[in-house]
Amino acid sequence: MKRFNLALKLLWRDSRSGELTLLLLALLIAVSSSTAISLFADRLHRTMTVQAAEFLAGDLVVAAPALIAEVWLTKAGELGLSRSQTSEFASVLLENNEMLLASIKSVSGGYPLRGKLKTSDAESQDETVVAQGPEAGSTWVDKRILPALHLKIGDTLTVGEKALTISRVLSYEPDKRGDFYSFSPRVMINQSDLAATGVIQPGSHVRYAFQFSGDEQALATFKDWLKPQLNPSQKMLDIHEDRPELGSALQRAERYLGLSSIVVILIAGVAIAMATRRYTERHFNATAILRCLGCKQAEIIWLYGLQFLVLGLVASGVGCGLGWLAQFGLFELLKSLLPQELASPSWLAVFFGLITGLAILLGFALPPLLRLQKVSPLRVLRRDLEPLPTSGWLIYGLALAIIGGLIWRYTEDPKMTSIILGVGTLALFGLGTAIYGLLLLARKLLPKMGLNWRFGLQGLLRNSEASVSQILAFSITLTAMALSFSVRSDLIDNWQQQLPEQAPNHFALNILPERQKAFQDELQQAQIASSRFYPVVRGRLVTINNEAVQGRVSKDSQGEGATQRELSLTWAVQLPDDNKTVEGDAWQAAPSGLVSVEQKLAESLKIKLGDQLTFTVGSAQFSAKVANIRSVQWDTMRPNFYMIFSPGTLDNFPTMYMTSFYLADSQKNLLNTLLKKYPAITILEVDQILKQFKMILTQLTKAINLLLYFALAAGFTVLFAAVYATLDQRIYEGALMRTLGARRGFLRATHVIEFGLLGILAGILAALASEAILYALYTRVMHIDYHPSFQLWGALPTIGAATVGLAGYWGVRQVVRQPPLQVLRR
Amino acid sequence: MLNTHIDKTNSPIIVTEQLGKTVPTSEGILHILSSVNLIIKPGESLAIVGESGSGKSTLLSLLAGLDTPSTGRVVINGRDLTKLDEDGRALLRNELVGFVFQSFQLLPGLTALENVMLPLELSGHAQAEAAARALLDRVGLSHRLTHTPRQLSGGEQQRVALARAFVTRPAILFADEPTGNLDSKTGAYIIDLLFELNQEQHTTLILVTHDMSLAGRCQRTIRLDAGSMV
Repeated sequence: MKRFNLALKLLWRDSRSGELTLLLLALLIAVSSSTAISLFADRLHRTMTVQAAEFLAGDLVVAAPALIAEVWLTKAGELGLSRSQTSEFASVLLENNEMLLASIKSVSGGYPLRGKLKTSDAESQDETVVAQGPEAGSTWVDKRILPALHLKIGDTLTVGEKALTISRVLSYEPDKRGDFYSFSPRVMINQSDLAATGVIQPGSHVRYAFQFSGDEQALATFKDWLKPQLNPSQKMLDIHEDRPELGSALQRAERYLGLSSIVVILIAGVAIAMATRRYTERHFNATAILRCLGCKQAEIIWLYGLQFLVLGLVASGVGCGLGWLAQFGLFELLKSLLPQELASPSWLAVFFGLITGLAILLGFALPPLLRLQKVSPLRVLRRDLEPLPTSGWLIYGLALAIIGGLIWRYTEDPKMTSIILGVGTLALFGLGTAIYGLLLLARKLLPKMGLNWRFGLQGLLRNSEASVSQILAFSITLTAMALSFSVRSDLIDNWQQQLPEQAPNHFALNILPERQKAFQDELQQAQIASSRFYPVVRGRLVTINNEAVQGRVSKDSQGEGATQRELSLTWAVQLPDDNKTVEGDAWQAAPSGLVSVEQKLAESLKIKLGDQLTFTVGSAQFSAKVANIRSVQWDTMRPNFYMIFSPGTLDNFPTMYMTSFYLADSQKNLLNTLLKKYPAITILEVDQILKQFKMILTQLTKAINLLLYFALAAGFTVLFAAVYATLDQRIYEGALMRTLGARRGFLRATHVIEFGLLGILAGILAALASEAILYALYTRVMHIDYHPSFQLWGALPTIGAATVGLAGYWGVRQVVRQPPLQVLRR
Repeated sequence: MLNTHIDKTNSPIIVTEQLGKTVPTSEGILHILSSVNLIIKPGESLAIVGESGSGKSTLLSLLAGLDTPSTGRVVINGRDLTKLDEDGRALLRNELVGFVFQSFQLLPGLTALENVMLPLELSGHAQAEAAARALLDRVGLSHRLTHTPRQLSGGEQQRVALARAFVTRPAILFADEPTGNLDSKTGAYIIDLLFELNQEQHTTLILVTHDMSLAGRCQRTIRLDAGSMV
């Protein structure tokens, strides 16, 4: 107890003298960002699990691309289960010469079986909770729809061929999730009006969901009876297993946020290590006296370890509180991607923040702190006797283990964790070496420089290890910010600009076979050139050589994406002109039963020539042999396909046609005519889709930016930790220089040069890293030309010089304030 | 612009009037230095002696403009230091004053040559390197130009400090216990060198020391006791 009291007393003294401020600050930043993310992820997942029944709008749901067998519904009825049905599809709304791509959802009576709907009128914010969907003849719409189409409540909205009266604004539906479909504004209609819209035809892309609820025993019986009968395209979701997942945009957001928070932890960790090092060095003398007075090595570690434990608990406690507040910011920024009602924050996630804080402290502060136990009592006589440094393996190994553990927590994938850790370590090592090389090079220039510049640069070179850490911390943060900004502001615009002139900008889907000719003629009459009309059958790839595809894909790969959804399948006598066969031969008058596979998907799924691929279309199944593998130019804005079959292979399945065409702004009116004449056709305007993507991107990047502010703050703690580590020396040198006649202005100028240079170097490195990553993103992911951004090269070093220069200048302001008398007193 | 022209007539180079320094403490005002009146002529050598804590270093720091007095004033070469701001005093130090300290006070990151060049560079001297080399040669360190203080012995460091003090040909040299950290043989060598350079450059020397034999080499000695001249 006495030892604990002594530890507390020493901690109190140190904290009052400002010795621990920086350490505390760095820990606060790390803990608050990781707690914010931990709470964010936890709330999302608990929303999906605890409130699963509500998010399913039933106890059990069968999701399918087509209607399910009537006998299943009869069986549910026999077991006394309540049931409801929803159908979701995209359709273009056309009112008052405005067009809008909307997500239409028809709901049967009884929907939602679990959870409630909420509606309001347009003006008031007051929500009314309702148990049923709209009545026949009326519709409830997302609030966004009214201003976009110049409508108000009571007006008529035509969906397909059916005119409906807008009776309410729909403000909440339980089973709406964060994905691209749910991002389109919702129009909810009664199921009895669905047929009259004329939109749904055999082969249309519709997502059906059948909800069931009732007695648990009956549900279990129904589930057991139904499960063996499901085909691969039908999915059963219930509250115990196969819970609905987060939308992909949210899943990615969660992962990126998690990884961003690790960047924050890493940078703050460096600051913690630097601050602890200074703390340790300043306690050598006190420790030597304690050792002289009889303290054992283990007691020294206990004494300081206890102080750090208390410090860790206090900082983590406060950090958790800040994290709690920050997660509200994240939810606000991602509002429209999120389920509308969320589980409340859990204490367990806060506890995790606390544990993270202590782990960070252990990983980054313990190794330098351990040096204290090696302090020799002889130091009381010989002040220059320094204890041996802690082993590098321990320093880096412990930090790497903590970071690895955190990455694993966010990715839940050992392979990805080791890749991120490996690539991250290599990148840091590479960048660190590059900075070190630059500093060495700068040293050679020293004799040629003026006095101001020489002293400024010498400040950087004096402790090159700390300078490398600072430059790295700022360049990582600046890179992340530049990427976030570029992706949000330029990526889609650049992609759009690089499309060939008059590249198709509209896609027409769901064209009935019997109306295809008429539609084609209509386009020709209006002198609109369209691409080929492709027949489309929607089906799912289930096995490759009788092996389930899921076994072949890695998480988040292109292959996984393609196996998790239905693909648009087509057939053609001749492959499209811009497709090139890279393996095998293009067929000419080929027999049915052959398939041509897109190259990248084939690589991802390890598909080879001659493989037997099995697909399901509705409840039917068919197979085809891989005849060739072809490359596809995805950015032509013409319909492109992963799978193209030989003629005759898809003959037995319901087909719709699709095409794409270019429409100049002056011809937009034609869309009105086309949509009125062919209400079942869905026309996608590329501009509109890109606009929606941009909105999602903006929200994601805003949320990630929130974390980057933490990273920036962590970067400043590294800067200040480095500044304070050398502050005594700087004050001494400043005083000596002034004794020799240097003016304050001279010292200030050297500080500005030193920290400005540090910022410029970080900015240059950040520009380099951003260019490299953007280049990869443009050429590998978006497949468009990349042009270096001169703005980045101008802005990043300037921002770096300004922010780091000012902060550093402020950090060393004491140097010019101290009277030169200091030197004589030393 | 400061008047740095040295009056070679008999006008004093340093004058103090009722010079005093006090510091507030928890137990009241502490008088470190009281009513010091001094007139020092150009080229004169003056030793300040006294016990530890008698106020010797405080007096030196006030005379050199490193600290500001609580009472009275210091006039150097006709300029009242109490009327100059910190930058003004820095400029005056650069042009008129040289220092030699007990603990050498060399900048650890600079080589011997760079340390000696520093005061010349601060005043924008065009031939800083040549002058620094010449002075280092004079103190017998031409073979140590690129060595940093850490690579030099105590005696060598003090010789670099002497070269740095004399390189600007200062009108006044302040030396604070210049042999305090050296063994007696090296100390004697340094003192000989200091007086040689002093004579060569006709510098006014103000020396703080405990060593009465060293004080005896100066033309005049003043003794301080509890902050007052006795």
